[in-house]
Amino acid sequence: MKYGTVHFEDVQVGDEIPPLVKGPIQQIQLTRYAGASGDFNPIHQDQEFARAAGMGGVFAHGMLSMGFVAQALTDWAGAGGVHKLGVRFAALVRLKDIVTCKGRVLAKSSKDDVHLVELEVWAENQRGEKVVTGKATLALPAHE
Amino acid sequence: MPITINKGILGKEYPPYAVTVERGKIKEFARAIGDLNPFYLDDSVGRASPWGDVIAPPTFAISFRDEVADSSALLRDLGVDISRVLHGEQEFEIFRQLTPGQTYLCRTKVLDVYEKTGRSGPVAFVVRETAVTDRTNEIVATMRHVTVVRL
Repeated sequence: MKYGTVHFEDVQVGDEIPPLVKGPIQQIQLTRYAGASGDFNPIHQDQEFARAAGMGGVFAHGMLSMGFVAQALTDWAGAGGVHKLGVRFAALVRLKDIVTCKGRVLAKSSKDDVHLVELEVWAENQRGEKVVTGKATLALPAHE
Repeated sequence: MPITINKGILGKEYPPYAVTVERGKIKEFARAIGDLNPFYLDDSVGRASPWGDVIAPPTFAISFRDEVADSSALLRDLGVDISRVLHGEQEFEIFRQLTPGQTYLCRTKVLDVYEKTGRSGPVAFVVRETAVTDRTNEIVATMRHVTVVRL
């Protein structure tokens, strides 16, 4: 099931979530993301501007890649389960790049019927270089 | 010759601003990411959900903007051009789901400003935190933004 809900008891430390493959990144997606997020920095839209800024050309909003990572988490655990997501933007994502989001369970804890899993999350490009690294905390449902 | 930034903004609290979440903006945001989760896009799935309506994707609050308090205001205060900034880090802590029609108050403050010399030269880091609260002043989410300025 694409939008499945994983249960707390079924998750083990060390488990990896299903990888989510996004892209190839196209200019139109960066333009749509600009409109949706309100981030109209021309460095994501205008090749000449991005080159003049010393960035070697247009690159994707870091927040778009973070959105991909969040999607990998919610595709796995269900919408509404993300309590915390923190990332570092480790490398630029360029046009035509393919971004694969991954995650691995680091820890599990339960308190007062709230069941949390902590994950290491990252996204890598088609050359295996990490473009995003971070951590997430998700609340998962338990079996009845 | 590296530029200098205005470090006087350390501790600055920006004026609070209100944002009302629009149903269409949630959907536009999810679609821009390519995340077609029905809990964001399908009103009938939302109605039947524990939240009683569609919810926003985890990073949606990044779209909460106000011209006197957002990143453009930060750049004006720092005295730097937009072509020099990069997004270094971002964190969201989500206590409750954002839903359409709700009005939230955003308060942003500058927590830290520091400089370092990185692989590609001197850079400054500016750390801001935005608290998102509801009408009863209860915390709904916090965002921590780390902006990198190439000096």
